[in-house]
Amino acid sequence: MPDIHHPGRRSVLAAATAGAASLGASWLLTGCTGASAAPVLPTDTKGGTPDRGGTLRIARPPASDAETLDPASALSAYEYLGALYNRLVRVGANGDLVPDLAESWEPDAKARTWTFRLRAGVTFHDGRKLTSADAAYTLRHILAKETASPQAAVLAPLIDTKKLRTPDAHTLVVPLKTPNAEFPSLLTHYNCYVIPDGSARGIGRTGVGTGPFKLESFTPAGPGRITAYEDHWGGRPVLDAIDFYSVADMSARSNALLAGQVDLLSQTNLDFATARVVAASDRATIARVENAQWYVLPMLTTEKPFTDVRVRQAMKLAYDPEHVVKVALQGAGTAGWDNPVPPSDPAHITTHPEHDPEQARHLLRKAGHEGLTVDLYTSSYDPVFTPMALAYQDSAKRAGIRIRVKTASADSYYTQIWMKKPLMATYWYTGRPVDQLFTQVFRSGSSYNETAWSDKKFDALLDRARQETDDERRRELYGEAQTFVIEKGGAMTPMFADRLVGISRKVRGYAEHGFEFDYLGIGLKGA
Amino acid sequence: MFSFIARRAGAAIGTLFLSSILVFLAVQALPGDVATQVLGKDATPDAVSALREKLKLDQPAWERYIDWIGGALHGDFGLSLVSGKAVGGEVGLYLGNSALIALVTVLFAVTGSIVLGILAGLYRDRWPDHLISTVSLIGMSVPEFVVATVLVLCFSVALPWFPAVVLYGPEASVGQLMPAVWLPALALAVVMAAYIVRMARTSVIDVMASEYVTTARLKGLSTWRVVTRHALPSALLPTLHVIALNVAWLAGGVAVVENVFNYPGIGKLMLASVQNRDLPVIQAIALISAVVYVVCNLAADLGAMALNPKLRTRGRTR
Repeated sequence: MPDIHHPGRRSVLAAATAGAASLGASWLLTGCTGASAAPVLPTDTKGGTPDRGGTLRIARPPASDAETLDPASALSAYEYLGALYNRLVRVGANGDLVPDLAESWEPDAKARTWTFRLRAGVTFHDGRKLTSADAAYTLRHILAKETASPQAAVLAPLIDTKKLRTPDAHTLVVPLKTPNAEFPSLLTHYNCYVIPDGSARGIGRTGVGTGPFKLESFTPAGPGRITAYEDHWGGRPVLDAIDFYSVADMSARSNALLAGQVDLLSQTNLDFATARVVAASDRATIARVENAQWYVLPMLTTEKPFTDVRVRQAMKLAYDPEHVVKVALQGAGTAGWDNPVPPSDPAHITTHPEHDPEQARHLLRKAGHEGLTVDLYTSSYDPVFTPMALAYQDSAKRAGIRIRVKTASADSYYTQIWMKKPLMATYWYTGRPVDQLFTQVFRSGSSYNETAWSDKKFDALLDRARQETDDERRRELYGEAQTFVIEKGGAMTPMFADRLVGISRKVRGYAEHGFEFDYLGIGLKGA
Repeated sequence: MFSFIARRAGAAIGTLFLSSILVFLAVQALPGDVATQVLGKDATPDAVSALREKLKLDQPAWERYIDWIGGALHGDFGLSLVSGKAVGGEVGLYLGNSALIALVTVLFAVTGSIVLGILAGLYRDRWPDHLISTVSLIGMSVPEFVVATVLVLCFSVALPWFPAVVLYGPEASVGQLMPAVWLPALALAVVMAAYIVRMARTSVIDVMASEYVTTARLKGLSTWRVVTRHALPSALLPTLHVIALNVAWLAGGVAVVENVFNYPGIGKLMLASVQNRDLPVIQAIALISAVVYVVCNLAADLGAMALNPKLRTRGRTR
């Protein structure tokens, strides 16, 4: 299962096993902090510079017993990747592409061939020099059938691996099958970390990359340790080492933080009760990753009544996203207005239809579905799912829509409910560049097209956008694509939520956005 | 006496056979196809059907059952679908860790609760009895994860005496696990002890009211001697069954508590396996739990027989 979609595959266990347990725990924990109902979560974590050295202890949810360090794999141990490896390009804090291993990149006039110039003087952890052959090998590895990389579905229709060229040691030329002005953004995906030439067989265990840390030990679904790589091209990291521990249960993870056994809970969106307890603790506090979670109520456009675009429009007009943000997130997020492109993305447009229950009622009547009753599935997989479903239910009442909220088992949620039930709750991580987002989740036939929406006009619009070399014009086209999705698509996007991350009060320099984590700058005070 | 043992053993084997069928059927009924769950969502239909064939999922259920139970009888539980390792060895590793908790729990719970039960019985309707009975009633009513969470808050967060969670994997040594064993064991012991305390209390009250205790007292024996030599063995007898049932219950209680403490034991492995639909592992664990249950009951019956002359001779007198 892809963690791109729900990095929470790891937290599935947490949700499944904790079920009752975490409920009990948070109930207890809330009891301890007193009955204050208003959220008193800090908005900013402590600034200031960390001391050099020290070991950071991170608790992470394990992906599976079959975890691997191969970045291209669907079962990669995500938290290690950014520390051990680099990509050619990454996403900057403002959503733009910034250099990583590639210093520069440019297309030909038609955006059909892309040339990447690699940084000089970069070495792998085993001492070998990075060359363009490694970058070419990485692309071939991602696209190889036996790798079964989730990112292959996005890149395979574009790249002709046989035509990859490496004219010199620091130049990589990628000819594309069809023009694509957004191609480099697709390489920011976390399956695209660069591995050494010929390393496919062993990379899952060795973890040899060019990143700021090198591997000391790794156990699938177990503990592991990485240490500072002195010869890292970007300078030595602040920390001496990072210890990773895998803790499946969410309340166990927060207990470890509260007891001072770990310093950071990665990949965890704490529920509000736990977050409040953590923030009130002397040892730990909460860091927010703004708009990190993109919450969706997908309607299967192949299932009645959502085959009718008027019903889909009515479902969207019927509810007030501001209400959902207020109720389900206690204000810690941004209303989505059914636009899947997050507000932080440079391509994001702000126009959207207003909340209009009367119009929704009217559309339903025209479609012959007055007084519509539908089941909405949720689970304890994520703490926000059920509050979101209930808030939607409440809000849609005014349009005469009756929502029956059904809770399904968390551990089979993504195999039994997702993409099978006509209406359910789900989420993604934000941080996908706009072309990746639309290609992966909204294009006809894509494997993650969770609404099974298929619109030839939309696909053609996407094709036009990615071929457009004029930046301004391209941005307009992606804007049109957003309008298209808002008006015709099957996905309701009530909101983007801040992720609440538990960290120790000793941690300094924590910075995370999308799939980017600053391993170089993070450190400890008084380490 | 021999025929009694034979009958009990026969019933135990029959129970095990029935439970193996139930375990097999229950696992088949888990929602979600193994092949899709293992391969993930990107799997092509070809890959799924190939895996189904490899796992013999295309065969009828009864054939697969016979394959499985045949292997299990030889100690071969097949290979884990996720890690590819032999199930027997993997389960054994986690089982060993859980046994550590179980051992400490049983020591805590059994000794502690028998002592408390006897005290309560001897001080019937006086304040020690009220105190012990009330506390044990609370212990009985509160679920183990709540007890565990309270213990963590008290003894890991507020007073940093014990680790809140185990950060080691299943290969951890006994020395590494030892500091982390006490809180889970205590949590389980609290819940488990309540039943034993109440049972022991009732037995002691019954026995102390019996004629032979009165006789012993009239003979001028000290209270201490009456209790230890005369009352205790008889009082322990009905308690044995409760202890046995509780030891068997540990298997289930451990699963919940292990997750609160991230303890690398059998309960954690079971939840991970259910999540991954790792059928061979789930089946092996369920079968082993059934064995534990049956063996505990058998041991209780035989133990009761050893302590009770009447049961011992029942076969002969009729």
